[in-house]
Amino acid sequence: MKKLLLTALLATLPTAGAATLVYGANGDPVSLEPGNITDGISILVQHQIYDTLVAFKDGTTDPEPGLATKWTSNANATQWTFTLRPNVKFHDGTAFNADAVVYNFSRWWDPKHPQGFRNQGRTFEIWGQLLGGYKGDATSVVKNIVKVNNTTVRFDLNKPSSVFPEVIGAGYFGIASPTAIKKDGAKYGTPASKPIGTGPFIFQSWRTGDRVTLAPNRSYWGSKPKVDGLIIRAIKDASQRLNELKAGTIDFTSDLTPDALKSVQADRNLVAVKKPSFNVGFLSLNNRNQYLKNDKVREAISMAINRKAIVDAFWNGLGISNASFLPPVLAWANSKNVPAAYKYDPAAAKRLLAEAGYPNGISLDLWYMPVSRPYFPTPKPIAEAIAADLSAIGIKVNLKTEDWAKYLEDRNKEPGFDMYMIGWTGDYGDPDNFYGAYYGPTASDDINWNPPELQRLLEQGRAAVSRTAKARVYSQLHEITYKANYRLPMVHSQPLAAARTYVKGWVPSPLGSEAFNNVSLVGKR
Amino acid sequence: MGSYVIRRLLRTLLVMIGISVVVFAFVRSIPGDPATALLGERATPAAAAALREQLGLNKPWFINFANPANPLDAQFPRYVGQLLQGDLGSGLKSNIPVRDELAARFPATAELSLAALLFALLVGLPAGILAALRRNSGWDNAATTISLVGVSMPVFWLGLLLSYFFAVRLGWLPPSARLGNETILEPITGFYVLDALLRGQPAAAWDAVRHLILPAIALGSIPLAIVARITRSSLLDVLGQDYVRTARAKGLSARSVTLKHALRNAMLPVVTVVGLQAGALLGGAVLTETIFSWPGLGSWVYDAISLRDYPIIQGGVIFAALVVSVVNLLVDLSYAALDPRIQYR
Repeated sequence: MKKLLLTALLATLPTAGAATLVYGANGDPVSLEPGNITDGISILVQHQIYDTLVAFKDGTTDPEPGLATKWTSNANATQWTFTLRPNVKFHDGTAFNADAVVYNFSRWWDPKHPQGFRNQGRTFEIWGQLLGGYKGDATSVVKNIVKVNNTTVRFDLNKPSSVFPEVIGAGYFGIASPTAIKKDGAKYGTPASKPIGTGPFIFQSWRTGDRVTLAPNRSYWGSKPKVDGLIIRAIKDASQRLNELKAGTIDFTSDLTPDALKSVQADRNLVAVKKPSFNVGFLSLNNRNQYLKNDKVREAISMAINRKAIVDAFWNGLGISNASFLPPVLAWANSKNVPAAYKYDPAAAKRLLAEAGYPNGISLDLWYMPVSRPYFPTPKPIAEAIAADLSAIGIKVNLKTEDWAKYLEDRNKEPGFDMYMIGWTGDYGDPDNFYGAYYGPTASDDINWNPPELQRLLEQGRAAVSRTAKARVYSQLHEITYKANYRLPMVHSQPLAAARTYVKGWVPSPLGSEAFNNVSLVGKR
Repeated sequence: MGSYVIRRLLRTLLVMIGISVVVFAFVRSIPGDPATALLGERATPAAAAALREQLGLNKPWFINFANPANPLDAQFPRYVGQLLQGDLGSGLKSNIPVRDELAARFPATAELSLAALLFALLVGLPAGILAALRRNSGWDNAATTISLVGVSMPVFWLGLLLSYFFAVRLGWLPPSARLGNETILEPITGFYVLDALLRGQPAAAWDAVRHLILPAIALGSIPLAIVARITRSSLLDVLGQDYVRTARAKGLSARSVTLKHALRNAMLPVVTVVGLQAGALLGGAVLTETIFSWPGLGSWVYDAISLRDYPIIQGGVIFAALVVSVVNLLVDLSYAALDPRIQYR
């Protein structure tokens, strides 16, 4: 007890120029155990504590050295060798080396790993999602994980993958101290444990539903933190996050609603930060519906929607509408033969509908999601605007929705939804992550349209090593999907973030997994 | 009296068993399962099926007919087996034991509910009494109007309004959370005001109180309105009774009549309503806790429902039912103290 009191007292003593950085997150992390999460807040908190082998340059999706200083592949990208950063220690003093890397990756990959705790609820589902499956699965991308020497690890793959370094650089895959996992066992990553990484901040405490408190890692191998503490607060309500920012009880935050932009701009203590877009919100048209099977009907629908007007109206300048599934940072993979933006032409759309055999119009269900997502902040009014555009060419739209969990389930159940809104936020900076999620073998069967040609192209894309070769493959995918009109991209939104004016050095990442080690507070209070 | 309490406790136990069966079947009847909810946009049918299997959700609910060797290899028997060992399971997504989370979050909700109730009584009782004594006056009209507004104002709206006005515009109080960023407090009971005092940190106690004020007002607004109205009508009722007139006729002072005779009798319905409100407070706490980032039971169970996190929903509901049962028992017992005519058999 006395010891606790003493530490509490010591912690309250201000140090010279003391400043604690306070971030308002839109909820609580789910777990602080790497590889066992899928939600953005866990990734964000973990990124302060852990490093990944491959990192990304601030504000971009371009890979740069992380815990690995360099990586090379064989000619056909089926074997990747990573050289590890020497003289790095975990927060608990454990040495970072090839054993630690093999240990972490084996836990995620090998269902029989003794400290995988899969019989105690661990799922590591993200590994399976991004890397085809687990050890023993025919679909697993990884064939073998080999310690070459103390500072070298090699991954043998079952099939070529040029994106492998980027995938394992995703914020899910922070490297944890094997000592700490062995010590805490199945408790590791819960509030009752002490997550240990090599990252810029050291874990101190986690009060669920309230805050995670971190201390700076003064012996960090990279750019050392510029603050004396970091608190990540869970503030679920977006209006309340704005209130906290205005009241000065938090220093910066993300995931504000687009309509908060004016209020942020009007406050001279605040700076609005538009995050780089790394998502796509789109409308999916189901091939099982008799009308939507018809190419002309789908084209008519695409032409009838005034995307620009809708994006201007509901995203408040925080969205981009173009004719690509890929967000602007990945524009290098777009085809030159596809126009920059979709054509809006209701008269032509009406003619197309008549040509398709429906001069008197048709009736369709449009499902909108019941929850706000970064790509569709206000789904219902957006759906109403789409419905209005479609009714202008004679398509009667029945708006429908249901609880989010059921929505996700029902869209995949036959016959599925006629038309529905959904979207995607990227994990790593490669077109594969966008196309692969909604086309190809790992995609959902929600629209009953997934030609083998797309699967082949996706395989080729993953195998392509140079950016030029990749661009060639993905521009073909772009053309095919653009012409098919089964998934109609509506928007790439720029999530709104904001900071107090004294917050310096914050470059928000499109990946949403940046570390806050370069953020400083100049003259706070 | 003793046997009455024992019978009530036994009945509570039966209610708990019933509730655990009902909530178990009920949460599983809600369409949309944890696997798809946990996977989010990534939920392809294959991925969801794999996750379902790993979480044991593909097993039958009550009896596993497919496995004659071990028909109890089903979800409910396993759950009961755990329950009997005092284990409520762990959150499907987070792996955090439900019991630990309950222990951490219930004090937060209890502290907030007590503060809200205190606010409701401190303001509602005098307002109701005043309204009854000064019937049809400006006081009465004001109290009636305010209580009407209090009942009809949505809690989340009032919460945001309070936060914006008192925290952002005036800067008097913190907008949300239980403690400020600089305050460090090692919890003992989980009641922060109490803990800070026990630890001898008056500054932290004051910080905790400041953080309590706005959410307590938001959460207490509806009980306040109800308490004020019930107090008013009950007191009016009693003041019209024969024994009050008799007391007045005996020459007792108006003050003594009101306070000693009338008020005590008028309190009976008020106590009943306060008891019922204890359950309503737990419900109202869902919104208040979400708005004020209050790490309590309400916001936790609410999140679990949208994720279909079965163990958390089950544990939360069973625990809340237990709390409401105990509060109701206490309310029933307090009747005897107020009204000697009530006896327990």
